[in-house]
Amino acid sequence: MAAVRRPSLSRSGSGDDGILSRISDYSIVRKGKSAACDAAYVAKRLLKSTGKAAWIAATTFIVLGIPLIIEMDREAQLNEAELQQASLLGGAAPGQPAFMAPPK
Amino acid sequence: MATLVPPSPATAVTPPAAGSGAAAVEPQKADYLNLPCPIPYEEIHREALMSLKPEHFEGMRFDFTKGLNQKFSLSHSVMMGPTEIPSQSSETIKIPTAHYEFGANYIDPKLMLFGRVLTDGRVNARLKCDLTDNLTLKGNAQLTNEPHMSHGMFNFDYKGSDYRTQFQLGNGALFGASYIQSVTPNLSLGGEVFWAGQHRKSGIGYAARYNTDKMVATGQVASTGMVALSYVQKVSEKVSLASDFMYNYMSRDVTASFGYDYILRQCRLRGKIDSNGVVAALLEERFNMGLNFLLSAEIDHQKKDYKFGFGLTVGE
Repeated sequence: MAAVRRPSLSRSGSGDDGILSRISDYSIVRKGKSAACDAAYVAKRLLKSTGKAAWIAATTFIVLGIPLIIEMDREAQLNEAELQQASLLGGAAPGQPAFMAPPK
Repeated sequence: MATLVPPSPATAVTPPAAGSGAAAVEPQKADYLNLPCPIPYEEIHREALMSLKPEHFEGMRFDFTKGLNQKFSLSHSVMMGPTEIPSQSSETIKIPTAHYEFGANYIDPKLMLFGRVLTDGRVNARLKCDLTDNLTLKGNAQLTNEPHMSHGMFNFDYKGSDYRTQFQLGNGALFGASYIQSVTPNLSLGGEVFWAGQHRKSGIGYAARYNTDKMVATGQVASTGMVALSYVQKVSEKVSLASDFMYNYMSRDVTASFGYDYILRQCRLRGKIDSNGVVAALLEERFNMGLNFLLSAEIDHQKKDYKFGFGLTVGE
């Protein structure tokens, strides 16, 4: 693709190449750039798939989890209310068995 | 001087111990002459089906049932929503439809009749009649406007002391027979054969069901290529968990699903997740005596098909 120039440390040409283009000719810089491109690509894919997974998990929790939590809460409230009612009315009840026991 | 030796207490004690030991063992021994009557063959997956495959719907649904008598009742039902049309491509085609359904039910201990008429021209009828104590006749029929889509079927069920048999006759020369027998108090095994004259197909299948107080496990194999296994566990009296595995060895189709079923005092909530990426839930909540509110949701992540519905049921 791009012409592979193999610059040697001792340059025979004149010094009119800029310092950046000279640095970017080194193979280590090229390898560093391709590694950075790959890393960016992988990071983008990872972010997208994490986003997809988060969306699927969130919608699944909304459909399966939220009605369950709401209904269990209501059941617990109902139980508590009944328990309170029973304890309010049940204050009179324990008198009865104690009343009935002695004649026996 | 006492020459009589009193009987040693050891010999006096051991026979009662042996007697009580035998009495403790007996209740666990199965009484093979008095096995219970098994579940009918077509309902063998009943618990798993009730928990995992409730009637999800899309759109709005309103049902009103009015009882005129102890035995006779009328029902009015309005349904509005998109209906799916089977299409060859992977795209699902939905057409919005709305219809009204009028129905009449007659319920007697020995005879049950159900009839429904819809505004799109369909008529449904179902019949269940106890001819004698052990013999039951069931029938259902559906008439439609489209030609060749009407069908009817009759079943004769005979119930024995620990077995059931069924003979089926349908239009299009459809014949079927099934037999199921209780083998132990917990296990029942059965088989079925059918012959479809119109398509020139016949098949045979076997099923087994093992149930205890807390769990039900069933398995079914058919020569049409279907293998279905299911397991339902009753975790407490309000909660049960169900799982289901279906495999078609002809078309290599596998589906596994797992779901929960919460039966609380004021509502019933059933949710399930599938190996096809489908998540579905159905909530039936009782607001008042005779007023039920329904919410249905079905999300298909793979096909990106979302169906939500709400409904109201008035009347018993």
